[in-house]
Amino acid sequence: MTGTALDAAPYFDVADPSFSITSAAVHEARERSWYARTNYGLAVLRYEELNRLLKHPKLRQGSVAWPSHNGVTEGPFADWWDSWILNKEGEEHHRLRRLMNPAFSPKLIKDLVPRFQALATELIDNFAEPGRCEFISEFAEPYAARVIAIMLGIPEDEWKAVSTDAATIGLAMGVTLRQDLPKIEEALDRLYRYSDDLIADRRRNPREDFVTRLVEASRDTDKLSDAELRDGLVLLIFGGFDTTRNQLGLALQTFVDHPDQWRLLAERPELGGKAVEEVMRVNPTTRWVTREAVEDFTFQDLEIEAGTTIHLWTEAAGTDPRVFGGNPFDITAERKPHFGFGGGAHHCLGHFVARSDMSEALPLLAKRLRDPKIAEGAEWLPDSGNTGPVRLPLTFTPAS
Amino acid sequence: MKVTVDMSLCQDHGQCAIASPAVFRMDDEGRLVYEGEPDESLRDEVEEAADVCPVQAIFIDG
Repeated sequence: MTGTALDAAPYFDVADPSFSITSAAVHEARERSWYARTNYGLAVLRYEELNRLLKHPKLRQGSVAWPSHNGVTEGPFADWWDSWILNKEGEEHHRLRRLMNPAFSPKLIKDLVPRFQALATELIDNFAEPGRCEFISEFAEPYAARVIAIMLGIPEDEWKAVSTDAATIGLAMGVTLRQDLPKIEEALDRLYRYSDDLIADRRRNPREDFVTRLVEASRDTDKLSDAELRDGLVLLIFGGFDTTRNQLGLALQTFVDHPDQWRLLAERPELGGKAVEEVMRVNPTTRWVTREAVEDFTFQDLEIEAGTTIHLWTEAAGTDPRVFGGNPFDITAERKPHFGFGGGAHHCLGHFVARSDMSEALPLLAKRLRDPKIAEGAEWLPDSGNTGPVRLPLTFTPAS
Repeated sequence: MKVTVDMSLCQDHGQCAIASPAVFRMDDEGRLVYEGEPDESLRDEVEEAADVCPVQAIFIDG
């Protein structure tokens, strides 16, 4: 798994099924070099270098070529991917971002807090058995999906259909994209129709809600077209669902290892926000952020050629001892920012929502699920790219 | 109107420069440069820039 390239930088085969991006081998490599080489290109391992490259003017967001790298160059999926705001650059990107950003304003999301709390409480109340749960299917998944339902103003009982389609589209991030394409395109078509109906409804019946704000968003005389609204809503459903589900699962994993911090969170629910930041520093679902060099340039004596893929390894940087010292997991500590939401022009659009909903969920879970332990049968996604538990059986002491 | 950015919080994400390019811009190194006393006519977009800042580092006085 680890070798030595000609220039003596560490090397990792990140497609090897046994590779773990949070392994001792990676942490040890970080102590030898700020970067490693991989089968995709470069990997950045340290905080300061990652922080600079994340927003570097010579780099663009790097996932635009993913479908074509997998042999998918045309059709509905390729078109949708091209439409993503994440895959646009320059003024084309900025125009979309300017029109979409205000709907995600932190002021507007504050009003949703009581609904996030009620949702978390309802899900915990409805666990099938006392003292145990399968955390993903009984909490993380319905929580993530119903937060999206709340945002979209759709009946919360429709969450299952929407989340099933969102999960199917999630297959597109895997290496079997080409085989899965027919299923993915069917799911995409259903979500398109769903979004079209929502957009049409809010045009006829404007409400005080997120979709109406997007539909009515304008800058000077410019507005989002119906196609842009539809592509944006489907991206929101897709981008908000897996990430939140996985990040909640990873949060539980981290807290199971730090029972004193879990007890503290139960006693001091106001630490919910800081708990989210601390979890995302040491255990982010987005294990890497992808960039691509737009032109040749030199960074810290390393010559980077145009077209090079650069993965910014968020956990390695988030636990860099140069910045975080001995790295204790501490939800009361003042920390430098983590990279779990990416950064720069493409900084996660939905981060205020994600921060808010997870900040409410975690303290409620800490209060109700005392001394959680991971039981037999946990299953995990590979520890690279976007990760998290697929199944996370927990045992705990129930409390009210 | 007076604009201040808390540079100890600012992470150079550049969302402000997208929201209000007349007041905020990123230099060749990717660092934030901004106009501290912009014209009143730009108030809406400056308020939007403050609102969308991921680290909420922009403050408007007056």
